[in-house]
Amino acid sequence: MTNPYVPILVLMGAAALLALGGIGASAVIGPKVYSRAKLEAYECGIQPTPHAIGHGRFNIKYYLVAMTFIVFDIEVVFLYPWAVAFSDLAVFGVVAMLGFLALITVPYLYEWRRGALNWD
Amino acid sequence: MNSLPWITILIVLPLLASAVLWLVPGLHRVARPYGLVVSLVTLGLAVAMATGFDTGTAGYQLTETHAWIPALGVSYAVGLNGLGLVMVLLAVGLVPVVLAADWHAADDPAEREDEDAAYVARRRATFVALVLALTSLMVAVFAARDLFLFYVVFEVMLLPVYFLIGMFGGPQRRAAAVKFLLYSLAGGLVMLAGVVVTYLHGPRGDQGFLLDSLAGAVTDPVTQRWLFAAFFIAFAVKAPMWPVHTWLPDATAQGTPGTSTLLVGVLDKVGTFGMLALCLPLFPDAARWAAPGIVVLAIVSLLYGALVAMGQQDLMRFVAFTSVSHFGFIVLGIFVGSQVAMTGAMFYMVAHGLSIAGLFLLAGYLERRGGSRRIDAYGGMQRLTPVLAGLFLVAGLASIALPGLSGFIGEYLVLLGSFQSSIPAAVVATLGVVLAALYFLLVYQRVFTGEPRASLREARDAGTLRDLTARERWTMVPVVVAMVVLGVLPGPVLDLLTPISQVLAMGGVQ
Amino acid sequence: MTTFVAPVIDWAALSAILVIAGTGIVGVLVAAFVPASSRRTVQVVLALVAPLAALAVVAWRWSVVVGGGESTLVAGQLAEDGPALAAQAIILIFAVVGFAVMASRLPNGEEAFAPQGAAAPGSAYEEAARRAGLEQTEVFPLALLSLAGMLVFPMANDLLVMFVALEVLSLPLYVLSAMARRRRVLSHEAALKYFLLGAFSSALFLFGVALLFGFSGSISLPDLGTAAATTVGMDGMAVVGFVLVLTGLLFKVGAVPFHAWVPDVYQGAPTPVTGFMAAATKTAAFAAILRLLYVAAPGFGWDVEPVLWAVAIASMLLGTVAAIVQTDIKRTLAYSSVAHAGFALVAIVSLSEQGPSALLFYLLAYGLATVGAFAVVTLVRERDADGNVTGEATHLSQWAGLGRRHPVLAATMTLFLLSFAGIPLTAGFVGKFVAFVAAADGGAWPLVVIAVIASAAAAFFYVRIIVLMYFSRPEESERPGADAVEPGALTRASLVLCALGTLVLGVWPTPVLDLLAQAAKFVV
Repeated sequence: MTNPYVPILVLMGAAALLALGGIGASAVIGPKVYSRAKLEAYECGIQPTPHAIGHGRFNIKYYLVAMTFIVFDIEVVFLYPWAVAFSDLAVFGVVAMLGFLALITVPYLYEWRRGALNWD
Repeated sequence: MNSLPWITILIVLPLLASAVLWLVPGLHRVARPYGLVVSLVTLGLAVAMATGFDTGTAGYQLTETHAWIPALGVSYAVGLNGLGLVMVLLAVGLVPVVLAADWHAADDPAEREDEDAAYVARRRATFVALVLALTSLMVAVFAARDLFLFYVVFEVMLLPVYFLIGMFGGPQRRAAAVKFLLYSLAGGLVMLAGVVVTYLHGPRGDQGFLLDSLAGAVTDPVTQRWLFAAFFIAFAVKAPMWPVHTWLPDATAQGTPGTSTLLVGVLDKVGTFGMLALCLPLFPDAARWAAPGIVVLAIVSLLYGALVAMGQQDLMRFVAFTSVSHFGFIVLGIFVGSQVAMTGAMFYMVAHGLSIAGLFLLAGYLERRGGSRRIDAYGGMQRLTPVLAGLFLVAGLASIALPGLSGFIGEYLVLLGSFQSSIPAAVVATLGVVLAALYFLLVYQRVFTGEPRASLREARDAGTLRDLTARERWTMVPVVVAMVVLGVLPGPVLDLLTPISQVLAMGGVQ
Repeated sequence: MTTFVAPVIDWAALSAILVIAGTGIVGVLVAAFVPASSRRTVQVVLALVAPLAALAVVAWRWSVVVGGGESTLVAGQLAEDGPALAAQAIILIFAVVGFAVMASRLPNGEEAFAPQGAAAPGSAYEEAARRAGLEQTEVFPLALLSLAGMLVFPMANDLLVMFVALEVLSLPLYVLSAMARRRRVLSHEAALKYFLLGAFSSALFLFGVALLFGFSGSISLPDLGTAAATTVGMDGMAVVGFVLVLTGLLFKVGAVPFHAWVPDVYQGAPTPVTGFMAAATKTAAFAAILRLLYVAAPGFGWDVEPVLWAVAIASMLLGTVAAIVQTDIKRTLAYSSVAHAGFALVAIVSLSEQGPSALLFYLLAYGLATVGAFAVVTLVRERDADGNVTGEATHLSQWAGLGRRHPVLAATMTLFLLSFAGIPLTAGFVGKFVAFVAAADGGAWPLVVIAVIASAAAAFFYVRIIVLMYFSRPEESERPGADAVEPGALTRASLVLCALGTLVLGVWPTPVLDLLAQAAKFVV
């Protein structure tokens, strides 16, 4: 019988390998062409360093997109394991998940009605 | 007749009257007569109650016991023994005098011109309402037979006095009121810790706070000493004894004369009353253990008060320090370990209440005339205001224990008892008596004898300085009568007090 | 692979929580679908009716449960017993009076919250929002959701449920703290501090949960208690884990040394929110601490007690000393609340039998006075040169002479202050008394002595405010004097309730004490 922690160690090793391997491989094989945009820090597609106070406010849409993403992201995170264990959970699972989906729809409705989804 | 809940009536009536006065604006205009009538009715009821009192027993009479907070073992339990009865009579007797004497106390000259009539009326009504509320609390504190009830009243009583000093006193009243409150609160909270621990040592149950069930509950000598200390500190602050007396001169110098009268004449007696009614019966062994130390403290208070009084320039502060000295006498009588002295101390509590009322009120009248309370601002006043001077002399002589006046019996008995049990203490205390004669006569001489000052004489000639008015004279009549009666016929009061000291002096339980 | 067994859910036992959470969700939908003109009215009605309905439900559950019907619910994750229901009832009472103050407007129609939360302070956009009369009615659903978390807290019988409740109650409060209409930068600062420190303490809590799970193999409180008695050799882990979990909770309570956020947040948050938060959050967190200590801790009680002693002493002393030097009424009350956290802890340090009921009574007394005192603060306002009412006059010196011009309001405030100070015949005194009895009965009398000394010192700053209101003339302050505005009907009702409660609980506490005495038993 193996130690139960061994799989975790293996996973950690694999993860490290993947991360380091990716960086290493691109450093070795990739073409090296720099531009200004490439040298800037990456911050989710917006200006990474706001300038003076007052001009430095993030656009509110930034947060809206993030929050809408989370609404659906959480949904998926729960839906996936639920689907796997669906047969065990039986009726209880269906009802619970329906309740969860209904609740997660509420903020979506709120966003929609209050105009958060109008881009302009 | 004794089936009536006398004590409850005495507590509820002034309190109710006070609340009605404060809440009904229509009554504000007649606040002062209203207060006087209520206080006289209360006094009448108290006297009626006293006629049915059975002298010659130390036990509580007129008792009432009702569950109040059974979950905590608290009951509303009241009753009076001889001492309580005497103190209640003193308290409710002084209230009408004070209300009449402080007739104009709420009309602050600094605030009058820019204020409308409704505001002045409200101020007067507030004053009267506070005094009435205080009346009911004074009755309750002397009648409490439940430790929790006693503590509650003991603390709540601070509030009316605090507002009386803070709202109606002299220029430094704010600081004086805060000092008074914080001293008393600190003492009271120390006592609260003692109350809690005492209760936990008791039998608990629905009536766990009754004094009867707590007496003798704490048997461990060390615990008893700690608890005794917790209670004693609170009462020493209240009494006030050296070295925790410093709030008293400030409070009396800033309060109105009437407030000071109630404060020193009655409320401070709660301190010595508490020593008698709580410290001795609840912790007899610790009291015996601590007695020598307390006697020393009492003697220090006695001499210190007298000496400092001599150096005072302010009349009110002078009277306050004489009280520190007198309280030293009372505490000495309680703890010196003689039954005679204890009886004397209890008698002294009443006598001192009367003489202090006389001195404070007359000093107030004098200040109203001369515009100052500094002793050196006066001179020769007995030519200008002979009645005032004569009454001041009587009150002062009562205070320094001239035979035939109320102070004598108490002081004599305390000294007599002290000689029986501790000669050194008695000798030093006698020195205090001599000092008392000295400080009072010195002050009398400087204020009332000699040539009147030119400015005062001119004021008299111009008609602005007059002798006591009819209202002022009438306020002094009951005080002086009581002084003489107690001085000549102390028997009935002594009969009330002796059984109590018999029980307590043996370290027994009431 | 274990087979899944669906938990039995006793919906009746959850109904109070469901009412509040459901109304919160309905509130979100109201904000989405109801036209702006009637939106606020609907929200206010919902926010006031829901706690009342929940209170009725709790009363019903009380009659069913207390005295034999105690049980754990949802596979042992929640517990329905006396202390939980009593705490819920107290929280709901605070919600009723607190929401009433939140929903009130000034005579000129101004409410306590920013017209548009997202607008930058002082920007043209904010000014436009103000002119357009916009209102952020989302505060009511937010407050209801926070309340739902608070209701779960006392029932949580499982560390993870406790954590979820902690977050559910905290997140809306962070947002609410940022919503003040005036002094918005201060309000933003408050919210940010609250959020950062709150997140930090949540992390500590979670870390503690992890350690305790490692120690016992379970996150349920009763299992933890038994594991503590049977597991040997891992005491260090257990104690560290326990202390970390406790830290997370003590943070919410605002006890020293986890109090740093309290003054800033109490000062910056909109005053009605401060009142509600101060009273209800403290009660909820203390209820959770109660269950943690009485259900899980007995197994290693001797390790926890010194920590509690230290926290209680530090809170009482530091809260008192710091309050004395404050010049802002809201900060004074904030530090006083730190001190009160210490006093409340005194009731339970020795884990005595009367501890829970004493603590709950203390919190009820403290909370009523707190909601009331902050409600008074909302009414004491400055005026500009034209006589228009502007922001709250929170500098202490501005309160000078309030008793002259507004005797009733000043008398009400005085009552609350006396209750804080623990003067007899107010609820605060009975609260202190039962707390001290509980502590001394458990042998913690040195703590009682310290508490008594701290009370005496604390009386100083309460008395100082009374002195200002009654004994000072407004001319003595160099700042513009304060003027009290007429309270709206809801604030008035709330003030009357708080004042009556403070007085009645001080004079005749027997019924409440009897009820709480029945509630002392925890279900395991």
